[in-house]
Amino acid sequence: MIKVRIPTPLRPLTKNQGEVDVAATSIEDLVNNLESAYPGIKARLCDDTGELRRFVNIYVNEEDIRFLKGKDTALKTGDEVSIVPAIAGG
Amino acid sequence: MTELVIPRAIIDDMIAHAKELAPHECCGLLAGTGGIVGRIYRITNIVAMEGAQHLSSFDTAKAAHLERLSPAERAEIAFVMDMQDFSAAKKDMRQRGLDLLVVYHSHPHDPARPSVTDIKIATDYEEIWPKINLPVPSYLLISLMDAEPDVRNYWIKSGQVSPAPFTVR
Repeated sequence: MIKVRIPTPLRPLTKNQGEVDVAATSIEDLVNNLESAYPGIKARLCDDTGELRRFVNIYVNEEDIRFLKGKDTALKTGDEVSIVPAIAGG
Repeated sequence: MTELVIPRAIIDDMIAHAKELAPHECCGLLAGTGGIVGRIYRITNIVAMEGAQHLSSFDTAKAAHLERLSPAERAEIAFVMDMQDFSAAKKDMRQRGLDLLVVYHSHPHDPARPSVTDIKIATDYEEIWPKINLPVPSYLLISLMDAEPDVRNYWIKSGQVSPAPFTVR
């Protein structure tokens, strides 16, 4: 299982859980499995073509997937994935 | 805690950034070593991008307010950092051995103090910084509401705001 950290803005979709465990072998797989468990989350993370939106980062063990293999980044048991929303303000 | 030092050239660069984008808000990062800022990273404000307001910890009222505005108008009252730019900056800092010291943004029409939204989002972000291997930065505001730009820096911790003094050299 992969431990996924869920940021505050997405917790309404995960029954307020800040951390969830998901079985996945790649980031794409992880996003699809998150969507099955928590419908609506994929659209927040990815655009219509499945690419990561520019106002979110996904880190695997502190490395941005944009510097790994993007959605094809492989995952193994024990990896920690953090979904990080954009820094923002008003 | 080491007092922050910001070179005059970097203060001027931030003010220039704010003026270039006014009436829209600008945003960016300052990095350095030993509390001395050595580098500025301008980050694109993508608040006008569809869906940005849903993933940025904006409270319901602020998100609703943003939705009522045109995309161009949204950038007058808010910023959302382009996380591609952010990641590139983070990588550059790591390669140069710099620490993230400051997150800055402008208030084109308002004073140089954190808004309710700024405080809420910074508080939400406190738990994220260590997870992405970055120190908790201070938050710098550039106000353009008066003829003379006003630049102030703050710590935002657990919903509390306190001044974070800095020296200009």
